[in-house]
Amino acid sequence: MPEYEHVDLNLLIQCVVDYAIFMLDPTGHVVSWNPGAQRIKGYRAEEIIGRHFSVFYPPQEVTAGKPDRELATATVEGRLEDEGWRVRKDGTRFWANVIITALYDEAGHLRGFGKVTRDMTERRTVERALDERGQLLAHLVQAQEMERRRIAWDVHDDTIQSMVAVGMRLQLLATKAPAEHADALLRLNETVNASIGRLRNLTFRLHPPGIDSDGMVQGLSSYLDQVVVGAGLTYELTHDLDAEPPSETAITIFRICQEALTNVRKHARASAVKVSLTSADQGVYVRVTDDGVGFAEQVDSQVKRGHFGLIEMRQRAEVAGGWWNIRSEPGSGASVEFWVPAVRREAP
Amino acid sequence: MSEPRERPEQLKRPERPERLTVLIGDDEPLIREVLSEVLAAEPDLDVVATASDADEAIQLAVRHTPVVAILDVRMPGGGAWAAHEIRRLSPRTRVMAFSAYGDPGAVDEMRRVGVQEYLVKGLPNTDIVAAVRRVAAV
Repeated sequence: MPEYEHVDLNLLIQCVVDYAIFMLDPTGHVVSWNPGAQRIKGYRAEEIIGRHFSVFYPPQEVTAGKPDRELATATVEGRLEDEGWRVRKDGTRFWANVIITALYDEAGHLRGFGKVTRDMTERRTVERALDERGQLLAHLVQAQEMERRRIAWDVHDDTIQSMVAVGMRLQLLATKAPAEHADALLRLNETVNASIGRLRNLTFRLHPPGIDSDGMVQGLSSYLDQVVVGAGLTYELTHDLDAEPPSETAITIFRICQEALTNVRKHARASAVKVSLTSADQGVYVRVTDDGVGFAEQVDSQVKRGHFGLIEMRQRAEVAGGWWNIRSEPGSGASVEFWVPAVRREAP
Repeated sequence: MSEPRERPEQLKRPERPERLTVLIGDDEPLIREVLSEVLAAEPDLDVVATASDADEAIQLAVRHTPVVAILDVRMPGGGAWAAHEIRRLSPRTRVMAFSAYGDPGAVDEMRRVGVQEYLVKGLPNTDIVAAVRRVAAV
């Protein structure tokens, strides 16, 4: 191969910023890096060269052995193409199109792998939002939310009102009844009141007020005021959003935050919680961080033990076409982070 | 033209001419009924009318000019609309919200139309009575 072709090829690889183009040794360690890889994955060359390429994969896929499986397939078949979530240096994810090519020398020895990765997040997000599946999902989210709202309103406007009337009537009777019955009536009233309190909590969880009328940030802020401050924690809500997300996105974000905050309240023994919302990759990136006791257990084993809150959060994000992750270490709090697409469709 | 007839209870208690008149607006009959009884059991309170929607509450407030109107926030026609119109057409009447909902949005909406007190349903009867007297004293 003439010398100038080497030069041009290197120049090409070094100038390309839309594709991460780099090489792995036969065991999967990074041996070269280009500006596109730095732009897409966030690592500088000196930070990543020498590290195993499994750092680019979500933790559960590493646990499942996907990186090694991909190299094995490429080794046998010569190449492998895959699409899926990959992790950037800062822990956020992007939807990647990946091609791994096995590189053999003239003697037929495996010298390593060439890897070309492209960030497809925005394209996938827009395509999915506009396709039939995306629309169906949006309708499903809306339908579920309407159902929850209807149940909450029924409980509020019917059951709770009747019980309030019963309580008032019991108090009234207690003022007229002989002393020996008055106490019993007041105790009955207390039981009724406690049930009203529980029903109110139920309706609040089913359909927090303001969720669909005041905008997502305001809705979250009211929720934090009531639930987090009510539990004796302080909170900080920061947001940097380009626009109010479509309502199905807002609901998904709200519901995941609600579950994350429930976990903080019930398990974290935290004193402060931070919620941040940022527009990113045609979607919204959210972090819910607490300063509680944290945990060491892997998320997958918690999920296996039936920690339904975690399963629900992950499913909600994934069904919406996004991703979800929780990170924690004992003593240093926990951080739930997720991203969901936010593409506004034209009204039909 | 004949003099309006005095109400029997006023005849019974001539020593208390400054009785506190109250209108109740709530679409839930059970609540209307029991709230009327709770207030009527107080010697200084008089429930002069009950309404089951916003329009009825406004009409009765104009007719009776009660000292206090207690309005459900979510009754048909809207508690906020009723409060706004009662404040406009019967400026002497103070308005108090009595609601199953205590969320900031609902409270703000009622405050903006001149509601002076916002009670969440489920409070003890004694608190309700105290609130009526407090609102009347403003």
